[in-house]
Amino acid sequence: MSVNEPDRGSGPIAPGSPLARVLDGYGTPDLPAGFADRVLAAAETRAPPLPELRRPARSRRWRIGQRLAIGVASFGALATAAAATGVLEQLAIPVPSAKTVWASLTGSGEASASAAPVVDAAVPASASTPAPIIIDGPIDTPEELQETLRRVDQVRAGRREERRAIIDQRIKSEIERRRAAGLRVPTPEEEARLRARIEQAVTAREQRADAAAAARREAMQRKVENGEALTREDVTGRKPASPEARERFRGLRDLPPGERAKAWREMTPEERRALAEELRARRAARLPQQPAPEPAPTPAPAPAPEASPPAE
Amino acid sequence: MHTATEPAPAVRSAPPPGDDAAWAARLAARDPAALREMIARHGTALHRVAYRMTGDAHEAEDIVQEAMLRLWDNAPAIAAKHPVGSQAAARLRLGGWLQRVATNLAIDRLRRARRLSGGEVPEEEDGAPLADEVIEAGERDNLARALVLALPERQRAAIVLTYYEELPNAEAAKAMDMNIKAFESLLHRARTALRQALTAQGDAP
Repeated sequence: MSVNEPDRGSGPIAPGSPLARVLDGYGTPDLPAGFADRVLAAAETRAPPLPELRRPARSRRWRIGQRLAIGVASFGALATAAAATGVLEQLAIPVPSAKTVWASLTGSGEASASAAPVVDAAVPASASTPAPIIIDGPIDTPEELQETLRRVDQVRAGRREERRAIIDQRIKSEIERRRAAGLRVPTPEEEARLRARIEQAVTAREQRADAAAAARREAMQRKVENGEALTREDVTGRKPASPEARERFRGLRDLPPGERAKAWREMTPEERRALAEELRARRAARLPQQPAPEPAPTPAPAPAPEASPPAE
Repeated sequence: MHTATEPAPAVRSAPPPGDDAAWAARLAARDPAALREMIARHGTALHRVAYRMTGDAHEAEDIVQEAMLRLWDNAPAIAAKHPVGSQAAARLRLGGWLQRVATNLAIDRLRRARRLSGGEVPEEEDGAPLADEVIEAGERDNLARALVLALPERQRAAIVLTYYEELPNAEAAKAMDMNIKAFESLLHRARTALRQALTAQGDAP
């Protein structure tokens, strides 16, 4: 009965075999009369088919590939944003520049030559933000002293640049404020004279600090040559404040300006006097020479003493 | 009643090449006469397949009706893919398309019934005597029915399409959306299961 081709391992059901005789007994009924009319009636009343999907159905492989591509693109965008905002540098993850990557791919030496200025340019940038000088252990050799002085000079240069930038910014903002308020603003000649006076005062202050530092450095060099170890007081030029005084200074320094003045007023006269004398002594130790008379006051207020970092 | 002892051609009459594309175009134009002609051409063959798959005449009628209505719904898309006179039109076989739809509908209904019943589909949904009683009664047609309906639905479809409908393996595989190797393996398992079931009844094939 079966005319289909034989399959492997099990031949077709041979006509006349017992199985074929049994299977041939499975008859089927005919379709009922009127079946076609029923189907036609159903077709007439059948709801119209749904519109086709807007997007054609895609294979599973294509969908997975699409998701992978979206994931890779998202990760790349996040990584690029992290590298651009400096998050990776904060996490100590080195981010090579595009030129460095290209040079490593092509093997050209241009990137290594061009990478050096990038590193050099980063040093002044980091020097502009003063890093705290941490002296671990005694300094008792000329090499250690030279290294210490080099680091001190580096930080001082950065601080001086920052002070000048702050002064410049304050002058500009004050002029802008006066212009916005409709007040008289200094002419260019007046502004130049003002800047000259401020620069003179700043230079005088720096000269005094340099002189004081030079004196301390001579003393430190003599001490190191004699084989003695330097102390923190030798380097900073300050006597270490008592823990109580340090705590009071810190408490005052951390307060907002308005509350700082209020806290100062609320001190007893004895406390105020003691604190002022201690501050005066620290300043005198840092600047042993009496300063020259200050120039005329400037419209731009100088930085507050507690806001300016110590010279060394 | 049509039985397998009679010739059971897959289609009523072999249409000329490209004829199905013309019928699809008429169906797409919503010609009821075209649908009536399709029912006349393919309805009986589809009903045989559906009935032997499900063992239920009413279920088989529903399947044929649903297959025809799907042809009615999909006629515009089919006609668009196989415009009259094109090479694609010469390849169009509405009988094979309907065969595939009806087979899948029957398999889906059997699976749904098994899922709802929580086990095997009852072999005698129309209240006919159970297989054991049939075997004891020695009624040959009911024995064949019991043997076929005892097969898993895909093996049942393979036997129905190749033995009863006499489709070549390639066409039967196409109707079941399978590759030829997998279909031959399925057919081998179906024949083996039939022979083992018949042997278990004490009548060696």
